[in-house]
Amino acid sequence: MPALDLDKIKKDVVDSQIWRSVFRGGLWKDTPRDRAAHIIGNVWLHLHPVKVRPRALRWSYSWGMGGLSFALYLLLTLTGVALMFYYRPTIGLAYRDIKDLEFAVTLGQFLRNMHRWAAQAMVVAVIAHMVRVFLTGAYKKPREFNWGVGVLLLTLTLFLSFTGYLLPWDQLAIWAVTVGTNMAGATPFLGNEGPFGGLLGMRINNDVRFTLLGGTMVGENTLLRFYVLHCVAVPLLVGILLILHFWRVRKDSFSAAPCQAGEEKVDVWPHLVKREYVAAAACTIVMLFWSILQNAPLEVIANPNVTTNPSKAPWYFVGLQELLVYFDPWIAGVLMPGLIIMGLMAIPYIDTNPKGIGFYAWKERPFANAQFILGVIMWFVLIAIGYYFRGPNYAWYWPWESWFDIKPAPPPTWSVFGPKPDAILPLLLGVPVVGAAFAAAMLLPKLIQRELGGKMLMGGFLGLVAAGAAAGMLAHKIAAAQGAFLLFFLGLSFYFGFVLPQRHIRALDWPRYLVTMFLVVSTISVPLKMCARLTFNIKYLLTIPSISMNI
Amino acid sequence: MGYRKLFYASNALLLAGFAWAFLKDHNAEWKPYQSNFNRMTAGELDKRAAAEPDPQKAAALRVQAADWRRRPLEIKQIIVGGLDRYDRCITCHAGMDEYSNPTLKTPFAENPYKGHPKIDEALAKAHPFTKFGCTVCHQGQGLATTAEAAHGWVKHWERPMLKGTHIQASCVKCHGDFETLRGAEAAALGKKVFERQGCQGCHAINGVGGAVSVDLGDIADKPLERIAGYNFKRVRIDGKELPEESWNIQNWILGHLTNDPAEVTPNDPMARYNAEPIAPSAMPDFRQEISRREADAVTAYLSGLTKEELIPSRWYVPGPRPREPRFADAAAHGRYVFRKYGCQGCHGLDAKVGRRRFNALGPGQNKLADGATEEALMAEMEKGLEPTLPDVVGTYTHEELVKKIENGVPLAAMDLFHPKGPVPAMYMPPWKDKISKAELDDLSTWLLSIAKKDDSGF
Amino acid sequence: METMSEPINPVSAAAPAPALKPAAPAAAMTRGDFLWAGWSMLAAFFAASAAAGARFLFPNVIYEPSQKFNAGPAAGYDLGVSTKWLNEQRVWIVRTPSGFYALWARCTHLGCTPNWWGDQNRFKCPCHGSNYTMEGDVIAGPAPKPLWRAKVDLAPTGDLIVDKSQLECIPGKRELPPYFVAHAA
Repeated sequence: MPALDLDKIKKDVVDSQIWRSVFRGGLWKDTPRDRAAHIIGNVWLHLHPVKVRPRALRWSYSWGMGGLSFALYLLLTLTGVALMFYYRPTIGLAYRDIKDLEFAVTLGQFLRNMHRWAAQAMVVAVIAHMVRVFLTGAYKKPREFNWGVGVLLLTLTLFLSFTGYLLPWDQLAIWAVTVGTNMAGATPFLGNEGPFGGLLGMRINNDVRFTLLGGTMVGENTLLRFYVLHCVAVPLLVGILLILHFWRVRKDSFSAAPCQAGEEKVDVWPHLVKREYVAAAACTIVMLFWSILQNAPLEVIANPNVTTNPSKAPWYFVGLQELLVYFDPWIAGVLMPGLIIMGLMAIPYIDTNPKGIGFYAWKERPFANAQFILGVIMWFVLIAIGYYFRGPNYAWYWPWESWFDIKPAPPPTWSVFGPKPDAILPLLLGVPVVGAAFAAAMLLPKLIQRELGGKMLMGGFLGLVAAGAAAGMLAHKIAAAQGAFLLFFLGLSFYFGFVLPQRHIRALDWPRYLVTMFLVVSTISVPLKMCARLTFNIKYLLTIPSISMNI
Repeated sequence: MGYRKLFYASNALLLAGFAWAFLKDHNAEWKPYQSNFNRMTAGELDKRAAAEPDPQKAAALRVQAADWRRRPLEIKQIIVGGLDRYDRCITCHAGMDEYSNPTLKTPFAENPYKGHPKIDEALAKAHPFTKFGCTVCHQGQGLATTAEAAHGWVKHWERPMLKGTHIQASCVKCHGDFETLRGAEAAALGKKVFERQGCQGCHAINGVGGAVSVDLGDIADKPLERIAGYNFKRVRIDGKELPEESWNIQNWILGHLTNDPAEVTPNDPMARYNAEPIAPSAMPDFRQEISRREADAVTAYLSGLTKEELIPSRWYVPGPRPREPRFADAAAHGRYVFRKYGCQGCHGLDAKVGRRRFNALGPGQNKLADGATEEALMAEMEKGLEPTLPDVVGTYTHEELVKKIENGVPLAAMDLFHPKGPVPAMYMPPWKDKISKAELDDLSTWLLSIAKKDDSGF
Repeated sequence: METMSEPINPVSAAAPAPALKPAAPAAAMTRGDFLWAGWSMLAAFFAASAAAGARFLFPNVIYEPSQKFNAGPAAGYDLGVSTKWLNEQRVWIVRTPSGFYALWARCTHLGCTPNWWGDQNRFKCPCHGSNYTMEGDVIAGPAPKPLWRAKVDLAPTGDLIVDKSQLECIPGKRELPPYFVAHAA
């Protein structure tokens, strides 16, 4: 028997017309030219450059989160398409089909778990990717536009997750979506419950919420709409934006870090490709084992007349739900998310600091990093409060408290400025006072054109607050916990709202300065309002009911 | 070269993880049950073949046995078209699969292999399993293929399998004439006890009856979410606390008859959690008058009161029109009227002694001052009783009494023993539109006939 | 396996036939084997996923009526063709002096439902004019095969159980159980 010449067979196969017509480049010779040819000749790989700077390959630099987000997107597409074979989006069938997946379809439960958990992991990955890009200054010129695309992709990721949340048609689904979509009804001008909505003739059956739901309540049309959005419309949009995003990343070079003298680039194949593969595989493995060990939740079939207690949004929106405790729906549900998205997109255009591109620049960008991290931490603190500290009737339960313990009813709230009898001070005084305070907070840091000593300033302010709190305590007007709260929240606001801007951005040009300060003051007024509610039961600082202006 | 090793390791883990996922899915809980059943049935056939003297018959039995051994394992289900039910119970309970085992009898004694026990010929003929499925009568989760989930002993499934006599609730669901049915004796007894104790005086059923408490016409559909979880912590059945998977409407009903309802639903009489004090459940404690067996019967009856949309009218058998019995004299009829409308629910069987009520000032109770202590308040509340009618009706004329029953005693007209006492106090609803004039007259006649005579010369 | 304890050339023990391939450097061989293992595990993973995907597409439960049905007591049928189950189950129950068989009412030409013409003692298909005898044999028209007979059983309760998932039309086989139930009239 003649010896099998494997090498010859391999060469014949690779040189055959069929093979050559599919794969370009011929037999793998592992030369630099060959590696480049593989990248260029392959439609999937040519989103990569041929060579990449070694600094961009470091895990500690990139965290691999962008790639993982995409890997999870692919995993979600695969599992999602599989699930579509057994799912029918109608009220009579949806819940039963999910039960069928759980009990009767081969690997049905596993695929559903995988889809559920991968969706949540993708939200985390996309947020982490954004944090990394911010911290390494990778949104700065010329990448401003791609950062904006990224913000849109983050929004769409959340929207995808949200639309998918309804599809099992259980109590968890219907109530999360009911609360979420009711916020749309509070949109100014376009929602029937929003400010000025009545002015434009908005009713429950012709406003923006009605359009989204296809009805006045979450029902048959909503399920079909969310199904189409979830399976077709949004993934398509995400795909288009992804192409744009990747293409820009490739065109603007893979790392934002400026070229150093004598830095030699390395081949993308295999150095980047193997890292991508290992990361994607590791992520898939985690999803695999997670899905084997933990089942996706499925509650009682949806009942539009019975609300579960407590009823919570998907975890990534629980922060918003928590904000709804303190603010009116149109502020917490429409204005704030809008401001967050617009503010994020505005960042590259208002941050003119040319330093700190391509590395973790704590020293070079103290202001930007501090404000951004404050925002991210606030978001996750809100999520943690909503998720772990809220029990039946959305009352405050510590994690170690049983939900079967009954909590006393919350004390009555009061307002500072506004019409009687809820408010203690008149509206006419409130508007100028609050307006002036806001203007002062916006303008003061720039008006003082000399750098003040930060430590002295901070110490002085805290001392003042402490003295005030002590006086209040001595007069038995406030309790010790309230004093501590005041000290913490006022100190935090003073530091981020005055000390930091005064030190770092007083030289910024007026338009950019004003936009920046508007975002900063808006951000810090959120914990201030929370402090006011949690410690002093203040419902509104200023309430003008006639135009639904309550803050 | 670290990445090469990572490449191997990750591929190995991918393969292993996937294999695990597939095996976990493949080794479904129901499979051993079905394969055991097939194997055991084949074994029985082989045994019969060995004992069979006729070689031809023995060979036929062996062929059958081989056929059972070869049967593929599959999820079997009964589709109950008109009721939108899909019951997979026969996947494990293979002996009850009417398609492959029309007699429904198996030689095995243990579950899930045994045949349908105590099967009543007439019952089974009237409800062929292939047409009615299993969950229409038994409840549980027909779609499930794991034991816990299928029997409904899991969270988020609110209709677990009905246990013991509670299954007769399913007769009540469709048969308006269930009281005459053989096999629905417990449910019939439940209805009798319900009416004997005067439950309908406070709990209307589909609008028929008093309006003091909730209408029980769809009590079986009450979502668990509407029964606050912490209340279930107080429900004791046979002296035992209930595990969370037994929190269901059957135990909620039963719990009201095997506990003092005021302990099951204590509410907030001291205003600890609310601005206003809220009285405990005013439902009387029936434990002295209702046995455990009767409590189960009442549960079976009430658990069948559903407005389940799944039951179309063509499945529903209407009951007979109620017939009014005839009586010799007005007083006898009056006594019947007293029972018919459930007056005994508050005023006691045959109006002998009034039952408990909260915060309405009655005989033997003191009006308390504003600053009364918690203990004093509780002690006073405990003493509260509905009027014992023979003691009080004597001061009324016939017309006054009729008027009083017609209009009831509204909350506002009641004397509270303490301004900050718990609300709502028990009150008497107006019966004007519910009891006919002729009935009222006779009721009044009977009440006046049992009134204690005043010897003071009135 | 004494070579295992031999410290000089441990790799050669792992190579399958070192004598045949003396030129191949031992270390490169193992690395190659290893690489091969890595790729084949990946290939196995994809193959397993594809196989599971294919299996996934076979539903374990279907929302179709059961192919088996209870046609009621055998004693309730008269001699001849009964159209009692035609609308509900698309089956004719035929009783002969010696027993029962069940014909599936599906023309073997292109699947229309023939009609039973009792006066002419034949089934006639409205689509292309195929004619069948009471036994199901073709006597006219384009039909290539006799009508299918379904499996039929006599339950201990005396009921006929018809199973349409098992069919037979070959003369000689179709007259035997399980496609025929002996039952003297």
